[in-house]
Amino acid sequence: MLKQAISQFQTWFPAPAVHAHCDGPCGVYDPSSARVAAEAVLSMTKKLLDLEPPAAGDKAASIAYHNTFSRYTAIKEEQAQITKDELLILWTDYFKPVHLEQFPDLHDTFWKAAKLCSACKVEVSLQHAHELMEAVQKIHGIFWATKNRDVSWYTAS
Amino acid sequence: MAASAPPPVLPPQTLRSSQIADLLGWWLGRRRRFRVIGQSMQPLLQPGEEVLINPQAYRQRLPQPGDLVVAQHPGQPDLRLIKWVAYRQGEACFLRGLNETASTDSRTFGPVGRAALLGQVICRLP
Repeated sequence: MLKQAISQFQTWFPAPAVHAHCDGPCGVYDPSSARVAAEAVLSMTKKLLDLEPPAAGDKAASIAYHNTFSRYTAIKEEQAQITKDELLILWTDYFKPVHLEQFPDLHDTFWKAAKLCSACKVEVSLQHAHELMEAVQKIHGIFWATKNRDVSWYTAS
Repeated sequence: MAASAPPPVLPPQTLRSSQIADLLGWWLGRRRRFRVIGQSMQPLLQPGEEVLINPQAYRQRLPQPGDLVVAQHPGQPDLRLIKWVAYRQGEACFLRGLNETASTDSRTFGPVGRAALLGQVICRLP
């Protein structure tokens, strides 16, 4: 009786809306987007380490050097953040408790991979850039194993 | 010993139906009702369902991870969102949808301040 009265009231006087906002339930996941960004981090790290400083007093060369250095650094920063974002989406959206039973170190793997993204932003470290690629490769293996698909690891560069 | 990741907080699994006390609170103006639009809170809340919130809930205490909340969108103050608190850092809450592939949440707009929380969802109506 009371329930019916409330339902009738709700029909007559609709409540203000709260949005459980939707941006499209595509459900499409692929660790390759993280891999491409992580490869860019590794590439930029190598390029930064290979960059030779200009001779003292050569203003044009100095400007070119600093411009290139800044661009490489900015791209490394940006791509490391993209890698982190892509990994976090996989971690929090794709993986479910059932996958954790199958891969008990799942949380630790993602947590350490996200930390490596941060390390690659803060440093110019070839070791950490390689470790990030290894972490992404491990996640690639876990991800496709949960889908029972044999997708071999490859890199674009 | 190697550090390990913090345990994840589980999203809310249930939301009770309203009771007489909730209806009385609503009648007295201590609860506000809202209608859910969109699919990001499925399977807990279906589009078209109504909920009651307690606007006073966070006057005295901070939101807790796992709470269902109604908040203002940080970029669109006239847009109200219904989400759950995944974690809290200081006074900032990281909000998530339940149906994550269908949710625009703190992954997109970042953490939300306490002042943007309009209240805690306490039950569905009826």
